[in-house]
Amino acid sequence: MENYIVEMLNITKEFPGIIANDNITLKLKKGEIHALLGENGAGKSTLMSVLFGLYQSEKGEIRKNGKKVTINNPNDANELGIGMVHQHFKLVEVFTVLENIILGVEPVENGLLELEESKEKIIELSEQYGLKVSPDALIEDISVGMQQRVEILKMLYKDNEILIFDEPTAVLTPQEIIELLQIMKDLAAEGKSILFITHKLNEIMDVADRCTVLRKGKYIGTVDIESTTKEELSRMMVGRDISFDVDKEDREPGDVILSIKNMTVASKTHKNNAVRDVSLDVRAGEIVCIAGIDGNGQSEFVYGLTGLEKLVSGTITLRGKDISKASIRERSASGMSHIPEDRHKHGLVLDYKLEENLILQRYWQPKFQKNHFIKFNEMRDYAEDLIERFDIRSGQGPTTMARSMSGGNQQKAIIAREIDKEHELLVAVQPTRGLDVGAIEYIHSQLVESRDAGKAVLLISLELDEVMNVSDRILVLYEGEIVGELDPEETTTQELGLYMAGAKRDTEKETRHAGE
Amino acid sequence: MKRILAIALAIMLVAASLAGCSTGDNGTDGGSDGYEIALITDKGNIDDKSFNQGAWEGVVEFAGANDISHTYIKPEEASDAGYLAAIDLAVQGGAEVVVTPGFLFEVPIYEAQTAYPDVKFILLDGAPHTADYSVFETKDNVASIFYAEEESGFLAGYAAVMDGMTDLGFMGGMAVPAVQAFGYGFLQGAEYAADDLGLADGEVEVTYHYTGNFDENDTNKATASTMYQEGVEVIFAAGGSVGKSVMSAASEADGKVIGVDVDQRYDSETVITSATKGLAASVISVLESIYNDNWETYSGKSTYFNATNDGVGLPTEVLGEEGGDAFDRFESFDLAAYDEIFAELSAGNIELLRQIEVADATGYATADELTEALGLEKVDVTTR
Amino acid sequence: MQGNNNADKLKFNIKNITSHSGFKSLGAALMAIFLGLVVGFIIMLVARPENAIAGFRFVLLGGMGRLGDVLYFATPILMTGLAVGFAFKMGLFNIGASGQYTMGMFFALYVAFNWDLPGSTHWIVAIFAGFVGGMIWGFIPGIFKALLNVNEVITSIMFNYIGMYLVDMWIQNNGVMYNSSLTRTRYIASGVQIPALGIAGSNVNLGIIIAIIIAVILYIVLEKTTFGYELKATGHNKHAAEYAGMQGKRNIILTMTIAGGMAGIGGAFAILAPSAIAGSSMTYEPINIIAANGFTGIAVALLGNAHPLGTILSATFISYIQRGGTLTSLVGFKPEIIDIVVAVIIYFSAFAMIMNSAIARFIKARLGKDDEKPLQETDSENEENTVEDEEVIKKETEKEAE
Repeated sequence: MENYIVEMLNITKEFPGIIANDNITLKLKKGEIHALLGENGAGKSTLMSVLFGLYQSEKGEIRKNGKKVTINNPNDANELGIGMVHQHFKLVEVFTVLENIILGVEPVENGLLELEESKEKIIELSEQYGLKVSPDALIEDISVGMQQRVEILKMLYKDNEILIFDEPTAVLTPQEIIELLQIMKDLAAEGKSILFITHKLNEIMDVADRCTVLRKGKYIGTVDIESTTKEELSRMMVGRDISFDVDKEDREPGDVILSIKNMTVASKTHKNNAVRDVSLDVRAGEIVCIAGIDGNGQSEFVYGLTGLEKLVSGTITLRGKDISKASIRERSASGMSHIPEDRHKHGLVLDYKLEENLILQRYWQPKFQKNHFIKFNEMRDYAEDLIERFDIRSGQGPTTMARSMSGGNQQKAIIAREIDKEHELLVAVQPTRGLDVGAIEYIHSQLVESRDAGKAVLLISLELDEVMNVSDRILVLYEGEIVGELDPEETTTQELGLYMAGAKRDTEKETRHAGE
Repeated sequence: MKRILAIALAIMLVAASLAGCSTGDNGTDGGSDGYEIALITDKGNIDDKSFNQGAWEGVVEFAGANDISHTYIKPEEASDAGYLAAIDLAVQGGAEVVVTPGFLFEVPIYEAQTAYPDVKFILLDGAPHTADYSVFETKDNVASIFYAEEESGFLAGYAAVMDGMTDLGFMGGMAVPAVQAFGYGFLQGAEYAADDLGLADGEVEVTYHYTGNFDENDTNKATASTMYQEGVEVIFAAGGSVGKSVMSAASEADGKVIGVDVDQRYDSETVITSATKGLAASVISVLESIYNDNWETYSGKSTYFNATNDGVGLPTEVLGEEGGDAFDRFESFDLAAYDEIFAELSAGNIELLRQIEVADATGYATADELTEALGLEKVDVTTR
Repeated sequence: MQGNNNADKLKFNIKNITSHSGFKSLGAALMAIFLGLVVGFIIMLVARPENAIAGFRFVLLGGMGRLGDVLYFATPILMTGLAVGFAFKMGLFNIGASGQYTMGMFFALYVAFNWDLPGSTHWIVAIFAGFVGGMIWGFIPGIFKALLNVNEVITSIMFNYIGMYLVDMWIQNNGVMYNSSLTRTRYIASGVQIPALGIAGSNVNLGIIIAIIIAVILYIVLEKTTFGYELKATGHNKHAAEYAGMQGKRNIILTMTIAGGMAGIGGAFAILAPSAIAGSSMTYEPINIIAANGFTGIAVALLGNAHPLGTILSATFISYIQRGGTLTSLVGFKPEIIDIVVAVIIYFSAFAMIMNSAIARFIKARLGKDDEKPLQETDSENEENTVEDEEVIKKETEKEAE
């Protein structure tokens, strides 16, 4: 009999019309990192919510150290030493790090807050586990990675010994991911037990000891990481083989579709220009990727290109037509499609139906309106067509609320809309962010298909794998400037990383720009 | 606990609706224990320190003493039809006497007097007529009551000047007949006193102003402050809550105030006297006539309450103070002097103008119009 | 036992209503109204225990006998409700309905007094003038918002005062319109008054019919046209609207202008209403008071969920409660208490409407514990990936809130 700190035995949790967890068993050993793998909607979060007391299961039991326990709410979970880092942090932005950590367990002396002791404890903890934070900084002033460390410290401060991480790397930069994974290893080494929800196989291979795989609410199996492979895990997760390499043939690029000259875009957050003097060309039939670490001007670059932000200077030419001062609608009508970085902020009206979202870029065209009255039949037919062609899955078809769709299908809807719209240039900004393997594979294939159809594709990505696999040409953006142009066939991730980190740059960058 | 609460509320509601049904369907089940005397408020509230309040105090005093049920009703809409609807409601609720304070009820009462011949109406400050003024008719079931504001204002102006003040101010609300009458009387009183004292022409200065509202607000207070700064010694505040603004300016500027309608000495130390009209007293008189079979006294006609029948005047008593001196805030003017002039007035020896020609649409008279029409010589009027 | 039966019945109903998606919005409104009534009843109970039940019966049922008046008084607040709700669909909080209403009233009055038109068209032109007046007063905050990014709440509040003082000043200085000895406007000729519908004892007039038609037109604009599509998209997510190339600034101005026009028509309806008394009419008193109907419009819009057709119902409901409330003076409730009770019912209902998801959750948690349905509709801005995940988060926020 092995020594399990937590056992979830035969857990079944139903929602109307769906069995979210069907007889699932998960056993967590003390001091291990146990990954919980599954596609979106596989039931990972539901299972963790049962453990954290947010849901009560219909069947099955939970044991801690071999003893049966009931967890009715997060407070019960806390008392049992179970803590959770949510994907979306639960922090008070205008409070300091220290205040956030002690929130709920404030040390009080004579009715007044007594912070000194807590501060010492936090500093001690942060040194012990290498969680660098400054206790007096405000949450709103610190980076996302730092905020996550605060969340971890919150758990440690409450002496939790079972730590649940819900997709912790989704919001982090590559560098921060490396740091986080190291922290998790340190925590495990100190005897904490970690449940790690993710669908990123590389991370599991890096840090986890064992992995439990769920698929469509069912338990598929638990494997030792040492004795398995990425391919094996992905097969368990998806139920079929997944190719990690993007299938694409070489193509000769055609005419220049997009030409940007000396574009400078102001920043909204600081006084300097976020994009400085950027020039580049994108030709028909090629995928050009702008690589870089988050926050180096990617967002502003896209805003300037698509018209969400005015240019400080420079020109943008699309198919020979100057669109530097054109409105968003004019740019769109001239043949620019845009898969936005933030699908909830820009890409979708979440409280609109799927069919309404699918005509978001086209509702004004004669196909969909007559005398300003929307043609509802056309809209419905069009939605059904796209749903079928792009395999967008949703509960009630065209009338599904966008909000209730899964992230992958929301993204599919945006891609369907943008690709099906008449366009010559497709601007795709982090199109796979937060999606699972199956969806990523699909989106990459769509990008390649678009390229093969003779469109120019401009991909803005933070994921090294994606950059290397999908693009025909890589431009590295560092502090608002293009610092290098690389050929993915010839370069390595290491070299790319050096460019992205600003440690290396092309000396004669002018000559690098095609078309000059 | 919460579940129990929810159930309790549900039961309560069901009980309420059931109880409602069981009492039967005669929509006027309040009739048996309805209210015999009802007052309809005009646009203001019952505590407006003016018509509504004065009339209501009369109702309460009389009905309380005689143990008669009474209530007041606020119209749903400030229109003739809305007032009439409120009267309908009062009658439906069993009212036998309806008190309507203010001229806004003239048209509604004209309609109501025919519709409800058995109900008695007391209309203050107005006489029933049709909307187009073509027919004026006060039926037997209506008592129309007017007040001689000009006499009250006259007494106030007289007292101020007799007390040695030569720089006076008048702040009326809107230029309605009652307010105008107060103002015109005030000027005539000042002139009369200056004449008595043998002052030179133009020696008494009066700053004459309409605020255009009946509110307590910063603009009114600022106007009053400015007037005090310019040397005005006392302001006659004749405009409902305008008085509160003036009193607050006065206490800051160490100025004096003359109140209006009711005795306002209790509202502020700055109030030296008040040009009152006996709202409550007149309502009580009429109610008494109804309940003592004297209705003919007021029935079917307009009755003026003035100095002759003690309907207007300055206060001569201090509430709750036996033999208190109501004139203690004057320098020299006293009860004796007051009695003297009051006797003159009530004897009808002084002719006063209540109305003058005013060209402007707002009803604001110019200084020339005032001087001309009221025959002012000793008094120098400036308007602002 | 009795209590249990009631509770069971209640539980059954609630489940029925809430599980039916079509009735969800109406169900939430009914729930909100129910809570408002309960609070109102409690206040009556405190104020006058012996007559509370009789009084409450008037509140609940009194309006039945006065349906004409119910519709009459619903007319202006339906229009101001539309003014607030229409802007709300675009995410704009038009708190300036009051000023727009007053301005519309003035424009209508101006036409009524100063233009010489044949009787059959005069009132129509006057209503149209009210529309224009309201539009101007909505247009200005719209311009401020669109071009200078000044919050529309601030400008529209200020324009309530500016409009009111301006109108009061213009009226007081206009001898044709103003009767200074009565401190109100003169009577409007009967030809300019909106024709009455002829329901005895009530001034209900064609205005209510026009108002309902306008509400239906707004509904069509919102639901069937590209403008409505843009407007709602902007209201739900202005970033996405911008991304889709919609002209946000133009739409803001247009929306505020139309909203203002609605309130302006409301003002025209109110002032042009016919009078039951021959030769009389509605009058306006320039006494520096901001029109209350503008603010009631906010409650109307909230309770109607900003939906034009819902607004028809909520305006009628609010008027119904007010009419019933007035009748409670028959059993001795003072006007002030009535005002409080009516205001509590209306605002509590409107407030409960905002909180409807929270309350629905509360009711379900208390009455439907055994079958633990996850809530379908969601109004939180969580960004989870799957349906289940979303529910987890919802549940979570709920628990944490407790």
